[in-house]
Amino acid sequence: METATATRAPPSWATRLAALLQRRSVLPTLLLIPVLVFFIIWNTMPTLWLLGLSFYRFSLTSGRPPRFTGFGNFQSILQDSEVWLALSRTFLFVFSAVGIETVLGLLLGLLFWGSQRLPGRRVALTMLFTPMVLTPVAAGTFWRLIYDPTFGVLNAALRGIGLPSVNFLGNARTAFGAVLAVDVWMWTPFMVLMTLAALASVPKAELEAAEIDRLSWLQRLRLVILHHGKFILLLGILLRTIDAFKTMDLIYDMTFGGPGSTTELVAIMLYRRAFEVFAMGWSSALAVILLLISIAFTATFIFVLHARERRSQDVPT
Amino acid sequence: MSGIVLQGIRRSFGNTHAVKETDFTFPDGSVTCLLGPSGCGKTTLMRMIAGLERPSAGRILFDGCDVTAWPARRRDVAMVFQYPVMYRTLTVEQNIALALDNARVPRTERRTRIEAVIDVMQLGDCRRLGIDALDIGTRQRVAVARAIARDCAVILFDEPTTNIEMHAKLQLIRAFKQYRSRLRETITPQTVIYVTHDQTEAMTLADRIALMRDGAIAQCADPRTLYDRPDSEFGGWFIGNPGMNFLAGRADAPGRVAFDCLPVSLAAPGGEIDGLRLGVRPERVIVGPAGCGGVPGRVLRRTLTVGGQALLLLEVGQSTMRARMSAGTIFDPGEAVSVHCSPDHIVLFRNGSRLSMSSETIEAA
Repeated sequence: METATATRAPPSWATRLAALLQRRSVLPTLLLIPVLVFFIIWNTMPTLWLLGLSFYRFSLTSGRPPRFTGFGNFQSILQDSEVWLALSRTFLFVFSAVGIETVLGLLLGLLFWGSQRLPGRRVALTMLFTPMVLTPVAAGTFWRLIYDPTFGVLNAALRGIGLPSVNFLGNARTAFGAVLAVDVWMWTPFMVLMTLAALASVPKAELEAAEIDRLSWLQRLRLVILHHGKFILLLGILLRTIDAFKTMDLIYDMTFGGPGSTTELVAIMLYRRAFEVFAMGWSSALAVILLLISIAFTATFIFVLHARERRSQDVPT
Repeated sequence: MSGIVLQGIRRSFGNTHAVKETDFTFPDGSVTCLLGPSGCGKTTLMRMIAGLERPSAGRILFDGCDVTAWPARRRDVAMVFQYPVMYRTLTVEQNIALALDNARVPRTERRTRIEAVIDVMQLGDCRRLGIDALDIGTRQRVAVARAIARDCAVILFDEPTTNIEMHAKLQLIRAFKQYRSRLRETITPQTVIYVTHDQTEAMTLADRIALMRDGAIAQCADPRTLYDRPDSEFGGWFIGNPGMNFLAGRADAPGRVAFDCLPVSLAAPGGEIDGLRLGVRPERVIVGPAGCGGVPGRVLRRTLTVGGQALLLLEVGQSTMRARMSAGTIFDPGEAVSVHCSPDHIVLFRNGSRLSMSSETIEAA
């Protein structure tokens, strides 16, 4: 017995490592570490830094050190009528753009879905998706040239049919509509893509049953397509809403927020105050508010999405 | 309606012929089961009748009218799918009513029909529930209720019991049979086409069974005939659990053929012995103690099946065959037995096809 105990070798480091990895919690934790490190360095720390800065009065041009003001920056923002105007302009832009893109995307998606045997469908789809893959700066420059009152093709076309030239981006009445149209042109393909994905998630048997049950087009859309595809469609709407809320580069490139402030969305205002006026504390507070608004959008989306599940669980038995 | 007629119908996918050229008639008011192994083309055939699949060639006639090019919604058909297809945002009752609304059934008649199908499909307790609150078996009953309520000329069932558990399956079959007997008086008899690979289901439900193999209808007959007198060895093998025993014939005397399970030889039909095989169902093989007449045999293996029945694997001459025994009779492996096969229950095949047995052949046995 003693001999057996004496000759038993201690487990090697490889055996011990293998045993450690076999424990249920160790390997998943190890695999998560790189993602967590990345997330903390590039996401959590800047957010915390931003949050901290929002409580300070800090301007890069004053030369004075940051001074703690508590909720002073937030109070100043809430009392600033320009912020409220920019916010209302942004909401108008978001709801108009996302609304038009959703309706157009849904219609175009249904058209493409219904024309699966049509020759040239793939080419048409590729062309449709082109605007989506352009960088906003390139798209902005491209459209600025199209809208140009002297050399632009749009005005040339207007003149060609006997209409006067319009300074689309320089006129306060038309500038907002002009940039909105470019956003719709650029992002409707995204909603087409989401619609096609939503349609692909509808079980074929249900569509066939709807055909056999002689359901009308609207009944099919309501009872079958939207029922199955609503998650993907709502996800598309959410992503577009958050993205439209952040729109900056496209409009900045086309109008710089003008004429006056007619196209100055809140993201452009934030950029200007941070990198033209260098009011870092004030801009950080505004960024925190925008972050909270984005979180509110996401929370609403999740609530709407799970509302039906909750209702079905509440069905009396 | 005078039934559904298929004229030279065919469906190919590239070089694969899912349904080979077929001529067939589904009589008005009949229940026909399309039975066959997976991939034999039964679902494709049904989908062509429903209008969900366009035939590569041939014509489909409903009541003498060519409906081949008609879309599904224009044909007077209802269909129950393999998975219960429901409109999930509606209640059970609304699901049934929806099909009637779209068929423009008058309000009073609609109510009567809804009540009738809810009653026959036993959905009274859950009529106001949402679909998500139902189990899969009940959902399938709702799907059947929705299909039969429409009172279409044709109802198609595409393996409706494949995905539901046994109890729900029996409940559904019972409800279906009840519907056939009870609603027959109030609603016009509908032509039912029922696709399944479950032979028990086909035997239970069908007036006629169309047995399919490799994209063609191999035989169509009533369940009893199909079971007792299959046209081909395939039918004998596919139907029954286990399928038919097949024993090869050997020459005994000029023009006569002998089989290991029979004590005497038979007059070979047409005097030809080549390719002759005898088929007999396992439950038609009578096994008794050794020395009780018949032919001598030996038990190789014994298996107990559902209900305590015993399945014996027997060695008879140079052949092996299976016999199904009642629970009371027990023979052990290795035990010598005597085997009897009545000439009334044997079927002769030549090269896989059934031969009609003449009275001379039977008397000779």
